[in-house]
Amino acid sequence: MERAPVRAPLIKNLEFKVGLLLALTLALAVAFIAYTLYSRGVFERTQRLVLVADNAEGVSIGMPISFSGFPVGQVERMSLTDEGKVRIEMSIPVKDAKWLRNSSVFTLEKSLVGSAKIRAITTNLKDTILADNAERPLYTGDAAQEIPELIIKVRDVVTNLQNLTDKQSSLNQSMANLQTVTGRMAGQYGVMGGILGAEENSRKVVDAIDRANTLLASLNGVSLKVDSVLTKTDQRLYGQGGVMDETQKAVVQINSILTDARESLKKADAILKNTQGITSDIKGATTDLGTLRAQVDDSLTRVNGMINELNRKWPFSHDAEVKLP
Amino acid sequence: MTSDSPTDFFTRFGASLLVWLKSWRAVSRFTAVAIVEALSPSTYNSATRSVVLKQIYFTAWQILPRFTLFSALLSYVLIQIVVDTARNFGLADYALEGVIRLLVLEVLPLMTALFVALRSGAATGTEVVLMNIHNEIRAMEESGIDPLRFELIPRVIGGVISVLALTAVTSALALLFAYFVVYGLQYWNLPDFARVMAHIFDLPALAILWAKVLAFGLAVTVIPITEALAAPQKLFFAPIAVLRGMVRLFFVLMLIEVLSLALKYI
Repeated sequence: MERAPVRAPLIKNLEFKVGLLLALTLALAVAFIAYTLYSRGVFERTQRLVLVADNAEGVSIGMPISFSGFPVGQVERMSLTDEGKVRIEMSIPVKDAKWLRNSSVFTLEKSLVGSAKIRAITTNLKDTILADNAERPLYTGDAAQEIPELIIKVRDVVTNLQNLTDKQSSLNQSMANLQTVTGRMAGQYGVMGGILGAEENSRKVVDAIDRANTLLASLNGVSLKVDSVLTKTDQRLYGQGGVMDETQKAVVQINSILTDARESLKKADAILKNTQGITSDIKGATTDLGTLRAQVDDSLTRVNGMINELNRKWPFSHDAEVKLP
Repeated sequence: MTSDSPTDFFTRFGASLLVWLKSWRAVSRFTAVAIVEALSPSTYNSATRSVVLKQIYFTAWQILPRFTLFSALLSYVLIQIVVDTARNFGLADYALEGVIRLLVLEVLPLMTALFVALRSGAATGTEVVLMNIHNEIRAMEESGIDPLRFELIPRVIGGVISVLALTAVTSALALLFAYFVVYGLQYWNLPDFARVMAHIFDLPALAILWAKVLAFGLAVTVIPITEALAAPQKLFFAPIAVLRGMVRLFFVLMLIEVLSLALKYI
């Protein structure tokens, strides 16, 4: 197929056609190389901006820095400083440098899908233009970093919510109980019905209160009576010729009786001394003994009589004659 | 195999290995000579230029319209698929880069090389086999004309230029399509496009692309010609020589592609 034309070179404008193709190829190749060089910013005047970041994960050479979504430069070089920070050198075309001001903030944002993005945020476009070779911090905001933590928290919240809304949950039961209570409160016995549960109980309470009222009324009467009784008692006890008065007199008598008894005992003591010499004076002794015995008998009879008298007068003895009404 | 003794097996294995190595040595030697000749200005005289021109004419110019149309269609379809898929996955930002990497760096050079191999590689191989069988090459040698220099190397040069030209045209078209499919029919996104281009075509990528296309161009002519020259001068062997040349060419093209990928991404 190819052989025949080679032998018969009758191709029209062969050299022109091939020349055209070669020129086209050459033009495309040159244009392509020129374009890639241009796109890499070779022909553009640029200025440098140095961003210092703690962590340059996701940043790569050639990565753009965007301002309002438009690329205004790209990462040219990256290096680690002696302090362990990352120095990201960016080349900013001079024509785009006006978007970066001294007050601009630079952030590195990492998203779930796709590479990280360096953004320049300029709020005050009247500020002075960022100088060449300026050094600025690069703030990192990593959405993905917080997600696991967030998920754990959300799961906890959901579990709690599930427990709360469960049929067996205490909240649910409380709510049911509350409903019953408020239902009762709306009933005949009001709030008391709510507190005491059954209607019967409420009725009992009401009855009890009624009875307590009656009881209080009668108690009032009782206390009045008790009052008068007490007044009388007081009179009997402490009044003129009352129990206490008599008792006082008795005590005085007892005192005198006891004095007499002591006298008698002193005499007995003397007699007992005399008995020591009994052998020598038995006769005298026996005479004295007869007198002593009569005296002691007399004293004892008087004590006995006094005790009987006392017994009779003492209000709280067994066979007391004083009787309270 | 079972009736063969181990010695016979090793002898045969060694012999086939030697033949294989020999043919590869012939290929590499011819490639080296072709490169040297193509770079020396003395190669280019009116006779060789005429062969180069005809080679380019038949390999590139004749097929240019149809091939351009075909590759434009293929590029457009592939770009649409990649861009749509990327948008569906929310990765529209990466669609352009993906599409350019796919087409310009990989598919189009390989497709051009395969197309030229099928069309002109086979034809050149057949032509050289027939020249050899008809003793034309020996006749030239006897009359003091170096067949390598006047007939074969110009074809190699023509083949390389053809592959370069076709790749350039189709790639340029693919880039245009990629821009318009991704950004629509407007030119305001040229800075974006430039940024993506800058990202893809850094120096290593450009070097690998150029080396790959040149290697493709060399392979599509050098391998069929060496196979043809190595064939015995019997008409019976002509189809076998062409077939072996094509199989080896296909193998080499794939090897170059894999190598370039490995260099780029590993």
